[in-house]
Amino acid sequence: MNENYYLVLAAILFAIGVAGFLTRRNALLIFMSIELMLNAANLTLVTFADALGDLTGQIMAFFVMVVAAAEVVVGLAIIITIARSLHTASIDASSWLRR
Amino acid sequence: MAYIALLPLLVVALGALVGVLLEALVPRRHRFVTQAWFTAAIVVVALVRVIINWKTPSSRVLAGNLSVSLDNATLIVWAGLLLFALGSVVLAAQRFGGVSSFTPMAVAAPGSSDEQTAEAEGVEHTEIFPLMLFSLTGMLLFPAATDLLTAFIGLEVLSLPLYLMTALARRRRLLSHEAALKYFLLGAFSSAIFLYGAALTYGFAGGADYSAIDRAISLGLARQPLLLAGFALLMVGLLFKVGAVPFHAWVPDVYTGAPTPLTAYMAVGTKVAAFGALIRVLYVAFGGLSWTWAVPLGIVAVLTMGLGAIFGLTQTNIKRLMAYSSIAHAGFVLVPIAAALAVTTVGALSSMTAAVYYLASYGLATLGAFAVIMLVRDGTGEAPDLASWAGLGRRHPWVSAAMTLFLCSLAGIPATAGFIGKLDAFVVAWRGGLAWLVILGLAFSLVALGFYMRIVLVIWFGKPSIERAASDSADTPDQPADIVKVPVSLGILMALCAVATLIGGLVPNYFTHFASLAGQMLR
Amino acid sequence: MIGMTVSLTAITFWVCAPIMVVLGFGMVLARKVVHSALCLAGLMVALGVLYASINAPFLFVAQLIVYTGSVMMLFLFTMMLIGVDTADELKETIKGQRVSAIVIAVALAGLLGFTVLHAIVGQSGGLSVINNAAGGNAQAVAQLIFGRYAVAFEAASALVITAALAAMVLSHAERLTPKERQRERADRRVRQFASDALPVAPDPAPGVYARHNAATYPALLPDGTAAPGSVAPALEARGQAVLAEPALKLPAQSLHNRLAAQATELDGQPRLMADLPDAAPALTAKADDAEDQEAAK
Repeated sequence: MNENYYLVLAAILFAIGVAGFLTRRNALLIFMSIELMLNAANLTLVTFADALGDLTGQIMAFFVMVVAAAEVVVGLAIIITIARSLHTASIDASSWLRR
Repeated sequence: MAYIALLPLLVVALGALVGVLLEALVPRRHRFVTQAWFTAAIVVVALVRVIINWKTPSSRVLAGNLSVSLDNATLIVWAGLLLFALGSVVLAAQRFGGVSSFTPMAVAAPGSSDEQTAEAEGVEHTEIFPLMLFSLTGMLLFPAATDLLTAFIGLEVLSLPLYLMTALARRRRLLSHEAALKYFLLGAFSSAIFLYGAALTYGFAGGADYSAIDRAISLGLARQPLLLAGFALLMVGLLFKVGAVPFHAWVPDVYTGAPTPLTAYMAVGTKVAAFGALIRVLYVAFGGLSWTWAVPLGIVAVLTMGLGAIFGLTQTNIKRLMAYSSIAHAGFVLVPIAAALAVTTVGALSSMTAAVYYLASYGLATLGAFAVIMLVRDGTGEAPDLASWAGLGRRHPWVSAAMTLFLCSLAGIPATAGFIGKLDAFVVAWRGGLAWLVILGLAFSLVALGFYMRIVLVIWFGKPSIERAASDSADTPDQPADIVKVPVSLGILMALCAVATLIGGLVPNYFTHFASLAGQMLR
Repeated sequence: MIGMTVSLTAITFWVCAPIMVVLGFGMVLARKVVHSALCLAGLMVALGVLYASINAPFLFVAQLIVYTGSVMMLFLFTMMLIGVDTADELKETIKGQRVSAIVIAVALAGLLGFTVLHAIVGQSGGLSVINNAAGGNAQAVAQLIFGRYAVAFEAASALVITAALAAMVLSHAERLTPKERQRERADRRVRQFASDALPVAPDPAPGVYARHNAATYPALLPDGTAAPGSVAPALEARGQAVLAEPALKLPAQSLHNRLAAQATELDGQPRLMADLPDAAPALTAKADDAEDQEAAK
């Protein structure tokens, strides 16, 4: 089994995440795209760990999971706060910053 | 031994934890004052510890088993970070008319009756102080890290509390919420890119240590595309944090929307930490690649200086103006970094020396300027509209003089620290062989000069216009903007920033000595 | 034995990889946020399976617990809080943005894919040796986390505390006015009955006799009209309450007509019939729009 295919899969998933980030307008969807990018990076790390025979990659992937869990809490708390004051999660609805 | 050397970081982290406990233990009436003093004390203790570490050479360790490097560079950056954090804590602790800059209750919808009740009851979010300490923990870890994993964790620890605190402004809360969302989404996006870059670099080097990357680069050029892709993505993440073009889009909105003390904290703290990490990554991990990154980084520096200075010329909101100022300065700091001038002898100018000196002068002036911004208030709170600053100089000469000094330092006028900072930066770039960068940098310095002098002119010679209220119909102030009575702590802060700015400009030798030692990095 | 393992890995990969790519596209393209979340959750499970196949059993479990178990659940909770039916606006707000985004993404995929295509040269297979030496993958990972990466691990705890603080600050309301308990509520009702002749009995609950048990649907009186006060005022103020009278009455009326017709058939006596509208009336203006959009497609 050629492990490079894992890396190619990760690259494709990362690009899908970037596409989602750039095209969608809903804050939740944008955030999910970012999670997909993190997952793609994790797959790359774990694959390299296996190929290099070095556990560091797995450790990094583990820490990324911790970070993602914390980030999700903060991010969703912010999104809920905004949704409560604006009744929408679309990033276009709020545009006071762009005069 | 390594843990003793690591004490400043541990003190701040423990202080944050105790701060969270204080939330539960101290009665609400005393909480704000207790937290403010406690946080300031923790930062001072950490600062003292940094000074003790500086005096004991045995504490310079490359704690490879702990993934941190406690060398001169780290200690200098730490000292700067802690000083600036102390200043930001002083800003955050200010209460004008009994209310702080932070929202009384983040849950209450803007304009709702809950919000009014909370305001009437005098509730406050004192959690901001432990959150500032958590963020400071990340700021200390980020530039000290010696592997990509620890750097990533540091980056996140530094960012998460900032995302949250951005949403906590007292006035213009919708603006603040939107700034927080924007900052969060773009920040998370950039750290995902950073992480993917770290993954590719790890795959190239076979390890996440900076030293392993350096070794892998010097060993050979195998798997070169992997290295370049990983490096480029890592840079995107780091340049986002320092707010360099083309990753600057978040800066103006976030700086405008965030509570002013936090804007100051981001403008000085985040920037110093991110540059510290950027320099370490560039020189320790990717030093062998400098022929590849010098010119692209120089181009980024030019774009950043240019965009910051030119867009800043047209702004009318003082916080937005400071945001563009911070973008422009990120460009100026990149100038010596791109030159990659290594330390030759102790005391000689190097990239690190110039960058550290520049950041120190920028931080002092910016902190002082934000102190003044907090002082100019009308009936509803701060008055960030430049029009309301007109003619302040005649009524409040001292504060206006201090602001003028800070702006002069930011503009790089002789006899201020900012001048020496710019001079060093350009000299380093010249010696590094980037003459085109020096010429363009000088040109944009002139543009930036116009940018700051415009504010100075408004302050001293502007006519306070009567019809100002009409143009700003959104929230008509019931009293015109003016400088309120200066609180003692804020006065001391401004005086210290002003004196340090002057000393840095008139007798720079003392500071350049420290800055020159910062060039010594343990690998 | 070795040949067997390799082929198993290959099978796992070639089963999971297409599923993951399809789910990834599903996530980006789905109109409803919930569907996107489900696609992402499925993708994460498949990713966990891949971890298991490349010597990372600990991460396989962590992936399932942390990502699908908690992260995606938090996403779903958030959707429930701000509306499950949230559909994304698919209209472009910045002209040409979508095309340029797709071009960027395709270029990125090509560039990165090409970059990593030959990234791994040769097979080391040293990881299983390391895992076995430590007594298992979890043990090996633990030794590194609590040894070499102890500082990072401690710093990560700061992250988790920050997250808890964030959730508290942004969603926990300190009680500023005393809570109205059952006793006080009863007292207030009786007082209001005495002063303003308001009903003493509790408001009708949403959904009684209603066509749907969601809080946005009013309770229906026996004749099919909406009972006043059965939808929370906040929902009405937000315009989320379903207040289309004819549509709400329709099921009750048609049922009445059917029963009445049956009764007439049995005993021959004519009965009063309700006037049914010709076309089925729409429930809400919102639903109307959605149908229009479906029709446009």
